[in-house]
Amino acid sequence: MLQIIIQGLLLSGLYALIAVGFTLIFSVGRVLNLAYGAYLMLGGYAFFYVSQTLGMPKLLGVVAAVAVGVIAGLMKHRFIVKPLKGDMVPVEIATLILAVVLQSAVVLMFGDSSKILHSIIPGVVQVGTVSVPYSNVFAMIVSWTVLIALYLFIRKTHLGRAMQAVSMDQKGAAISGVNPDHVNMMVWGISGGLGALGGVFFASYTQLYPAMWVAPLIIAVAVVIVGGIGSIIGTLIVAHIIGFMEVMTTSLIAPELRGVFTMALIIIVLVVSPKGLFGREEIH
Amino acid sequence: MAILEIENLSAFYGKAQALDGVSFSVEEGEIVGVIGANGAGKSTLLDSIMGMTQTTGAIRLAGADLAGKTTAEIVKMGVGYAPERANLFPYMSVRDNLLVGAYTARDDIERNLEMVHDLFPRLKERSTQETGTQSGGERQMVSVGRALMTSPKLLMVDEPTIGLAPKVCLEIAEVLRRLNKDYGATIIITEQNVNFALTLAERLLVMETGRIRMSGTVEELRENPALTEAYFGH
Repeated sequence: MLQIIIQGLLLSGLYALIAVGFTLIFSVGRVLNLAYGAYLMLGGYAFFYVSQTLGMPKLLGVVAAVAVGVIAGLMKHRFIVKPLKGDMVPVEIATLILAVVLQSAVVLMFGDSSKILHSIIPGVVQVGTVSVPYSNVFAMIVSWTVLIALYLFIRKTHLGRAMQAVSMDQKGAAISGVNPDHVNMMVWGISGGLGALGGVFFASYTQLYPAMWVAPLIIAVAVVIVGGIGSIIGTLIVAHIIGFMEVMTTSLIAPELRGVFTMALIIIVLVVSPKGLFGREEIH
Repeated sequence: MAILEIENLSAFYGKAQALDGVSFSVEEGEIVGVIGANGAGKSTLLDSIMGMTQTTGAIRLAGADLAGKTTAEIVKMGVGYAPERANLFPYMSVRDNLLVGAYTARDDIERNLEMVHDLFPRLKERSTQETGTQSGGERQMVSVGRALMTSPKLLMVDEPTIGLAPKVCLEIAEVLRRLNKDYGATIIITEQNVNFALTLAERLLVMETGRIRMSGTVEELRENPALTEAYFGH
């Protein structure tokens, strides 16, 4: 029981971090970024390259991963989203293809086989009968810190309010002196950074392998669909529902069924409540 | 001094021409009314000044050319706009809506907020309410308030009375008059409701199918038989 609670909390924090970058893009840019999982892959491999291939400090590896994610996000905005003027279907097709291309690039550079990441912080902490790796605790603390900071940023700062404004009414934002293009660009950068950071943690949880962008994409889609697109609080709550559901499935039923219930949940919520349980499309 | 000078302005939505050779200017401290029927080009005129249409011709604000500027830059240069549909942020509070307006005028927040609350005391009472749940009149107030938060040299208000009860129209008229008298604001106001425009403006422009059909002071136009016939229904 204790094991389920601890693992559930650890996994859910990470899922919330992964999903929030995805939800930001949908709210502000109004496109489903199907290449979102590729940020996680890029982040994971950037961390691997800097900290394990080059042998630099792990923290530098994390910073490098986030930087790669931010740059990837900015480039995607500049070279795909902006020329297509945010037109939803072409952007989705282009981003999905991009993810596959990036996967091939990763295979070319790092090979097809999966890699194990060294722990960011080695060692385990004993909670009752459960041993929890420090790395996972670190991942959860960082995830929560980032989520709270993001929430406060969106609610309390001029730029954050501008992001909300663009997500609700582009013309209204423009005549308030906000350039929707700049805000969009910034959100693509933030989203890339969040995804890459999530990727470092996700790869530490599981493994680093070229196809690792698919599973987190499904998680992000699930959290966003069930939580209602655009709600940070909703994202947080649903990330916990999904996280705990997966942990319970894995430890009580069978590890093979892990993702099945998540996908079943997506379909059920889509049929019952298409706007999600907390739904509206604007960020708040 | 002319705050706004417009010379031979034409505007296009794709291939459709919506304004055709419009020229006029607005002096500092005056209220200019733009009247005309639905589709005459009033909103297009204001959208064009905000850089939201494709235009030819010249638009100058206090001598500075607005050609090629983004809407956000034009706001920063000093044009405040309360559009017809208000375009508020429905899930944000009144206060946050006003604060978005201050995006390019962050040093003036306190002074502007005080002015907005002085003009619309109700917005102070309702500052935490989401604008999506407000009445049409209150939304119009937030819209004008948000435009004022940009510290405008020129305020443009597009059909503020549309869909509002007469009592609320009077309130809005009173505020715009105070804004002009007490705060020295320069205002362009568009209206289908000619009587509303007549009670507020010193000068009127009459638009028809994308052109300025006539212009002059309220007194001059009252004498004009063509206008009397078209708008006052004699």
